[in-house]
Amino acid sequence: MKSNTPHLRKNLPAALPKSPSPARGGGQGGGSGGTQGYYDYPVVRRPVWTWEVPAYFWLGGLGAGAFVTASLAQTFGSADDRRIAADGFYVAAAALVPCAPLLIADLGRPDRFHHMLRIFKPLSPMNLGAWTLTGLTPLAFARGASHAADTGLFHGPLRAIAQLVPRRLTEVLGSFLSLTLAGYSGVLLGATNVPLWAKSKLLGGVFMASALSSGSAAVTLQAARRGAPAATLHRLARLESAASLGEMAILTGYLVQSGKAARPLTTSRFAPPFWLGAVFAGGLLPLLLHGVARGGHGRTVRSLSTAAAMCTMIGSLALRWSIFEAGKDSSEDQSASFDLSKA
Amino acid sequence: MIDGYKRLMNLEEPPPPKKAKGFFTDTSLCIGCKACEVACKQWNQLPADGFAITGNSYDNTGHLGATTWRHVQFIEQAKANGSRQEQRWLMMSDVCKHCANAACLEACPTGALVRTEFDTVYVQQDICNGCGFCVPACPFGVIDRVPKESTFEVGTAHKCTLCYDRLKDDMTPACAKSCPTASIQFGDVEELQQRARQRLGELKARGESTARLYGMPEGKEAAEVGPLHAFFLLLDKPEAYNLPEVPRLPRKTMAERYGWSAAVGIGFAMVAALVFRGGRQ
Repeated sequence: MKSNTPHLRKNLPAALPKSPSPARGGGQGGGSGGTQGYYDYPVVRRPVWTWEVPAYFWLGGLGAGAFVTASLAQTFGSADDRRIAADGFYVAAAALVPCAPLLIADLGRPDRFHHMLRIFKPLSPMNLGAWTLTGLTPLAFARGASHAADTGLFHGPLRAIAQLVPRRLTEVLGSFLSLTLAGYSGVLLGATNVPLWAKSKLLGGVFMASALSSGSAAVTLQAARRGAPAATLHRLARLESAASLGEMAILTGYLVQSGKAARPLTTSRFAPPFWLGAVFAGGLLPLLLHGVARGGHGRTVRSLSTAAAMCTMIGSLALRWSIFEAGKDSSEDQSASFDLSKA
Repeated sequence: MIDGYKRLMNLEEPPPPKKAKGFFTDTSLCIGCKACEVACKQWNQLPADGFAITGNSYDNTGHLGATTWRHVQFIEQAKANGSRQEQRWLMMSDVCKHCANAACLEACPTGALVRTEFDTVYVQQDICNGCGFCVPACPFGVIDRVPKESTFEVGTAHKCTLCYDRLKDDMTPACAKSCPTASIQFGDVEELQQRARQRLGELKARGESTARLYGMPEGKEAAEVGPLHAFFLLLDKPEAYNLPEVPRLPRKTMAERYGWSAAVGIGFAMVAALVFRGGRQ
């Protein structure tokens, strides 16, 4: 129920706390044991962020993952791998474009977005992320432009300029920034006092794995679309599967460590997007599809790889969104907050 | 050259540090009159919270927030004692704790949150861009962002300033000034801490066995966020007042979190190198 009066009970829990009934005997505190707080008011404030933030985590992670995949293919891959995977630089540039606008839209004062860069303060993950995004976006565009020059997409002076980009240096610097961008988001959420985000220390790893699986999936998707040779597709699929397996493993660790604090995610209204979207569609189904595609040829491999890659990417969005939204509910979980701050 | 840069950027020298100022809120003296809430709202020109009735004792404020910087709690306790019930009523005026290691200040990406010359934590309203990171970072749920559809300093983060404007003029903060029972005491933190220890001794001597201080340098609640410059004398365990037993400072676990993140990234890079090399023969 939303009130029209701006300051009216704006952040009380959706269901107003019930006053302790006399039947509860012990009332509050009173030495009855257990952790009983002040009515059932939350200990910490509900995060004010909206959908833009998980959308940014997803796109930023995907772009970063695609950049890293493409860069690693340039260093270690065969000629086919290099040619096909370099499209990942396009993917990265395209995915990073909406990131800054999303972040700015989520600010309380979007007109002051540039205040993020008035200091360099890596102690604050938010500041680190702003700088990383600022650095990575032009690098992704530069490397994408040099790929466009290589493939003949650019002509004339544009091509000459794009060919000036030092490829290897851009790849190394960009990969470093990409891994930072993919890795800091879970740490940012973890650097709060929201039980679901902060109880386990693995959330940064979960988001990193999700970024890398969705990023490599985006490269696979583009490779399948362009009719890449089966061998390259198989290798990309193997890489994507490895990332998905890692994601499922660290996600399991995250859930186990979170314990009761994970309830708003695992058993509440966010259970369907989490279990069906993030775990099944984003992890198990792509592994299965890639398994079936193994040893296949031509169109079968392409269509199975496409389906698997899309599942991974959608699952990655479901993961960010459900953990993000469930975290808001978790912030109102008084006993989980007390649990988190136990001596 | 540095001087030239400072002139160019219009950078001023920060004011010289003064003695740390703070509050000692002695809940054993609080009568729940809410004068502090009203005085705070008036002096700081904060808008009203509306007229919602929570049904929780006399507390219709609920909690601290962007436009509520003092909050009086009413804790009704009933305990069976043989055939009859023993009742007691605890009241406590909650406020920003002005932590020595403030989570909000460390989270702030713009430098809007600063430590003043009085060792208090202050939000510079002309710098804050409303990123909202300080809101879930605070272990006490103090600081909050004003909603975009509000009429008051829209979109930026707010909390108790310890009446920074009054401190500048050597005046007592509005809440402490208005408190009729000296439950809210303002002064130099060191001196207040001495006073608190003495008061606790008195209460213990009178048989208040559950009385305790919350936010002193020697307390376990100072383990991560450091001593609280607004600290409390409580008559029950901290949880009864919705205060965390050991308030967490997110920075303490950040390196480990980045470590796991980096481990996954390096693992992926190694797998990718192996997979791609396999295709090279």
